[in-house]
Amino acid sequence: MKWSLENSLVLLPLVLGWLAVWWLLPQQRARSRILGGLLAVGALLALQATMLPPAGNLVRDGLFYLFAATAILSAGLMITDGNPVYAALWFAVTTLSVCGLFLLNSAPFLAAATIIVYAGAIIVTFLFVIMLAQQTATANYDHRAVQPLVASTLSFILLGALLFALQEWGGIDGKVNGPLQEGPFVAQDDGVRANVFSQPPMSNKTEIGSMRVLGRSLFSDYLYAVELAGTVLLIATIGAIAIAPRRSQGTL
Amino acid sequence: MTASSLESQLVVGAILFALGMIGFLTRRNLILIVLSTELMLHGVSLNLTAFGRYHGNPQGQVFTIFVLTIAACEAGLALSLILTLYQRRKSLDVFLWSNLGEDDLPILSGQSTVPQTKLADPNADLPHLTPAGRAPKTPSTKT
Repeated sequence: MKWSLENSLVLLPLVLGWLAVWWLLPQQRARSRILGGLLAVGALLALQATMLPPAGNLVRDGLFYLFAATAILSAGLMITDGNPVYAALWFAVTTLSVCGLFLLNSAPFLAAATIIVYAGAIIVTFLFVIMLAQQTATANYDHRAVQPLVASTLSFILLGALLFALQEWGGIDGKVNGPLQEGPFVAQDDGVRANVFSQPPMSNKTEIGSMRVLGRSLFSDYLYAVELAGTVLLIATIGAIAIAPRRSQGTL
Repeated sequence: MTASSLESQLVVGAILFALGMIGFLTRRNLILIVLSTELMLHGVSLNLTAFGRYHGNPQGQVFTIFVLTIAACEAGLALSLILTLYQRRKSLDVFLWSNLGEDDLPILSGQSTVPQTKLADPNADLPHLTPAGRAPKTPSTKT
């Protein structure tokens, strides 16, 4: 009991979020979505108060809170929406917010690539399949969640363990939450060479996350992995063509 | 501690992962199950870029590019599998595939308690003969 009193600040957003997700999951009887939405907003505010304290930089804080809140809320809406088309669209919103967080992490190339691959290709093909397969707007099985109580309880126990470990974590190399470097984000040479093609990091002018630094690392340190990834892509293409239904077997 | 420091990003990544896990466990639509795994991959990618930023090396972003590659492969394969499954049962319900045995085999485990959706035509993919012509006379009508 003493432990839970001491850690009630972490438990509050967890319990609120668990209630919100469990309340909003599709059930047999329709529930008030307003109450679930209020619970979710309360969970986000409690999370901000306990785990995500603001820093001095106003613009950075605002952008981080905006992207993080949009990502979490639209992810919750995605897993609770009864209509699969809307769920896919909420997933697109989540992808865009995560790309905003990538931008805050000095990864502009990665943000652009993720938007192109996910929002441009994956979600569009998923939407095509949903619209081909489900001509009727709503199906019976979309409005019945599988054991919502057990699933949400287990997932929030996992989330609580993760958050508790993060709170108790002392940081890497004894650095507790050292502030990030200000200004450009340049590579630090640690003297480690992955293979014979590896090259030392470039001069301190080029920012990490630019295509130049990424390409040098990708095609020198990770040359074999890039070749393997290309092979995996080829095999996946052949497999998808082989598995997909033939026209002679009839279309959808 | 800054708001976009390592820990805050890790918190957001963990929440996205947990929400994706809930979606994976609770949804019955095959496509939404695959989309939930993509949500979990987003949480992992966020962690990787945050660690890359923290340590000042491009490795986190390179790993995220590989995650993106594998996610694309996975989506393509999953969609072709879903199309094949949909062609056989004409439904995206995952519970229709809880029993992979043949229809005439005895059911060994208990039936699931969740009500099943009605099949459109379970034998639609099997070949069948069209009845044509006059019905043959049976021996009883001859006498």
